[in-house]
Amino acid sequence: MAAAAAAAGSGTPREEEGPSGETAAPQPQAPTSVPGARLSRLPLARVKALVKADPDVTLAGQEAIFILARAAELFVETIAKDAYCCAQQGKRKTLQRRDLDNAIEAVDEFAFLEGYLNFRNVLSLFARSGEM
Amino acid sequence: MAERPEDLNLPNAVITRIIKEALPDGVNISKEARSAISRAASVFVLYATSCANNFAMKGKRKTLNASDVLSAMEEMEFQRFVTPLKEALEAYRREQKGKKEASEQKKKDKDKKTDAEEPDKSRDEDNDEEEERLEEEEQNEEEEVDN
Repeated sequence: MAAAAAAAGSGTPREEEGPSGETAAPQPQAPTSVPGARLSRLPLARVKALVKADPDVTLAGQEAIFILARAAELFVETIAKDAYCCAQQGKRKTLQRRDLDNAIEAVDEFAFLEGYLNFRNVLSLFARSGEM
Repeated sequence: MAERPEDLNLPNAVITRIIKEALPDGVNISKEARSAISRAASVFVLYATSCANNFAMKGKRKTLNASDVLSAMEEMEFQRFVTPLKEALEAYRREQKGKKEASEQKKKDKDKKTDAEEPDKSRDEDNDEEEERLEEEEQNEEEEVDN
């Protein structure tokens, strides 16, 4: 498992194949080749695919994509820690789905997630994004 | 624009690693919890994009920029992200600048070799370099999001 994670970490360019083929400009890559300068672990191409999914968005600058990627990482750290508080109270050492649900209910900032963890609902976001 | 649902997910391995590093040693995460967090992260990006786009439209701009995203974070009540994001942005800008200078240096080194043979050509090549740099900047700053 650790080997797979390590491989995925250094192999981020591999995961950038996919929907980003249509742009002419070279894809902004997470800088994994320079040691110590890894600014973003999430592949920018995937983040860009999410941004492109919003029909109201015309263009997005490279810096904006980068900050969104970094913000998403911070978000993952934050929600994982908050969910862990719930698991700890139950004296468990494995984070469960219900810990996440509890955290979402308990923390105001996570209110936007309520009801959206079913993927079908996520897809409906694209139809509704004008209303957001 | 048929995006497959899987493409809108962020890579599991990276998500898992971020989670593990955020939690104390010895803590595990169930598969359901991990994929829920991954989906939550996608929803977060979508929501942040939408908020940021509102700021861009307010400013009568068609391109989402970094400050739009930072404003979106505040709007979404994630102010605590703003400072670390600003720092990351500075580091990112420095690095992009470094990359650009490095590639320019390579070009200059390449030119020096030809200079030794034909000194008159170098002046024209310098102008070409400037134009190239400007074009690159434009390409770098605006990734087209064609819909």
